[in-house]
Amino acid sequence: MPSLAVRLGTLLLRNPLLSASGTYGHGLEMGGFCAPSGIGGLVSKTVTLEPRGGNPAPRLCETEAGLINSIGLENKGVAQYLEEVLPEVASADCAIITNVGGHHDHEFADVVAMLDERDEVDAIELNLSCPNVDDGKLPLATDPKRAESVVAGARARTRKPLFAKLSPNVTRIGDMAMAVESGGADGITAVNTLLGMAVDWRTRRPGVATIQGGYSGPGIKPVALRCAWECARNVTIPVIGCGGIQTVDDVLQYLVVGCRAVQVGTSSFWNPANLGDLASQLAAALAEQGIDDVNDLIGTLEVARR
Amino acid sequence: MFRGFERERIATDAAADPFGVAILTGPMPAPPKDAVSQLATVVSSRPCGSDAVVLRLAPERPFEPLRASRFFMLRREDGTAPLIPRPYSVYRQGGGASSSTGEAPWVEFLIKVMGRGSRALEAAPIGSQLRLIGPLGNGWPVLDGDGAPWVMLAGGVGSAPFPMAIEQALRGMDGGAAVASRDLHFLFGARDRGLLYDLELFERLGVNVHTATVDGSHGMQGHVLQLLDALQAAGSIPKQIRVLACGPDPMLEAVHARAIEEEWDCWLSLETLMGCGVGICNGCPVPTREGGALAGWPNAKCCVEGPVFAARDIELVGH
Repeated sequence: MPSLAVRLGTLLLRNPLLSASGTYGHGLEMGGFCAPSGIGGLVSKTVTLEPRGGNPAPRLCETEAGLINSIGLENKGVAQYLEEVLPEVASADCAIITNVGGHHDHEFADVVAMLDERDEVDAIELNLSCPNVDDGKLPLATDPKRAESVVAGARARTRKPLFAKLSPNVTRIGDMAMAVESGGADGITAVNTLLGMAVDWRTRRPGVATIQGGYSGPGIKPVALRCAWECARNVTIPVIGCGGIQTVDDVLQYLVVGCRAVQVGTSSFWNPANLGDLASQLAAALAEQGIDDVNDLIGTLEVARR
Repeated sequence: MFRGFERERIATDAAADPFGVAILTGPMPAPPKDAVSQLATVVSSRPCGSDAVVLRLAPERPFEPLRASRFFMLRREDGTAPLIPRPYSVYRQGGGASSSTGEAPWVEFLIKVMGRGSRALEAAPIGSQLRLIGPLGNGWPVLDGDGAPWVMLAGGVGSAPFPMAIEQALRGMDGGAAVASRDLHFLFGARDRGLLYDLELFERLGVNVHTATVDGSHGMQGHVLQLLDALQAAGSIPKQIRVLACGPDPMLEAVHARAIEEEWDCWLSLETLMGCGVGICNGCPVPTREGGALAGWPNAKCCVEGPVFAARDIELVGH
């Protein structure tokens, strides 16, 4: 049985499989499909300072090889998360990573400070990159200085491992990666959804009520894989790959390009047991290749010599 | 390091659950405890009405008897299009211990062929395997014989959650009194006769079956609510009724408006777009109604808090 444990800074995971924020609830609800004891960790749906009712329906639109969503960070706010959700989630036998969002820059630091006081939270992921608020302008995900400043603000309020989730909707994601590393992030999640759009030409109506939304699923994997690779080659902190993962081959590809862990998102919608299944399949795939430790595979991309 | 906590049960309050299924409430609405993600073999596919098929699936792991109007997510596994599974009410259930012929346990789904997802399911070869996630959702409330007569309003393919509902009501549910067949009215409306799917099946169940078609090709000409009005005016159905409804959005909006106006005890089985069916994608919001049991948050999740809602708990206009 190969060793699957990986380290993200001071956070040790039993294996590299994590849920992606916003695609697995808070995680424990899915216990009937995926035992937390079989995966590395659960990343929460985005938590914000104030409750958010989310966007109007339709919020989803299936498209070619993927799905466009515009949920709009619906959540009941950090107070409810701290009081009601965390005590329940804490019973999960895996890492608990809380994803934090905010409308104003200071909200990130405020929520992080509240989470810092709670032992149940093993790590914090900053959602710098939700495309479904602020009219898709992605202010934090496209401005390296501002991203660095938000990360630094959060860094000042916690010693827990802090990850920054980046957007693929930039020209040079490596610059964003370096910025959040300078801000004090312990890791980078690459990437959030791509801005996308669908339209029903017969009714002339857009696929989601907000017109544009976040495109995810198998169709984005080549884009996301490249982003993860570019992040990994530009920083020394760990990178968590995310985007279009549905099979164990996808997981292995992200590891080879330099990711220390991966997040599984949209594929949970068509098989909520997939996350746990991938963890078992990863062990089998490594064993088949005679690899004793998953860490021996990470960042082993071979570049052709001329 | 891992904390190694024992998993604890999420808070449930079975006593306060009129549906009698273990829908998990509390801070994190969750799918039912009996839901599984598995493969099921296509046993048969029979044409039904002018544009539907009844797909019979044999799951690898069979289910306990299912309450009518619970649902499953269905998806073909042989390819990536369509990507997202589709929700379907369980239409009928059989085989296994209930079978005298020793056939394997099966569930059936009534599938109206109308888009990419339903076309793919219709074309699934006999013997192929589909992803089957469920059983999901709450199902109809307990249909008991102790109160006003039950009126079931079905619009087109919205008839799917009713064959089992009628059987369960006549048999008696969860220790409640069985419903007498004279106190059960099934009102079936559709655009034309070809969309009154499996009408003969309903007629064989021994309850009062009435039909309406928009083109007048079967039963009264008009909509299902006009049919109800006519039957009440004629004295065939009393004023005091309890109502279940399932059908297209305009029909449900009209039923909802009437239910609020006339203060019916009324439950609606909603069909919304769903990405997952298990509460994780947040794509199926149903606006909640002020003063209702779900007030306090602007949206309920159709998949894990429904698909059956009391009319007084939700808003439907523009839904």
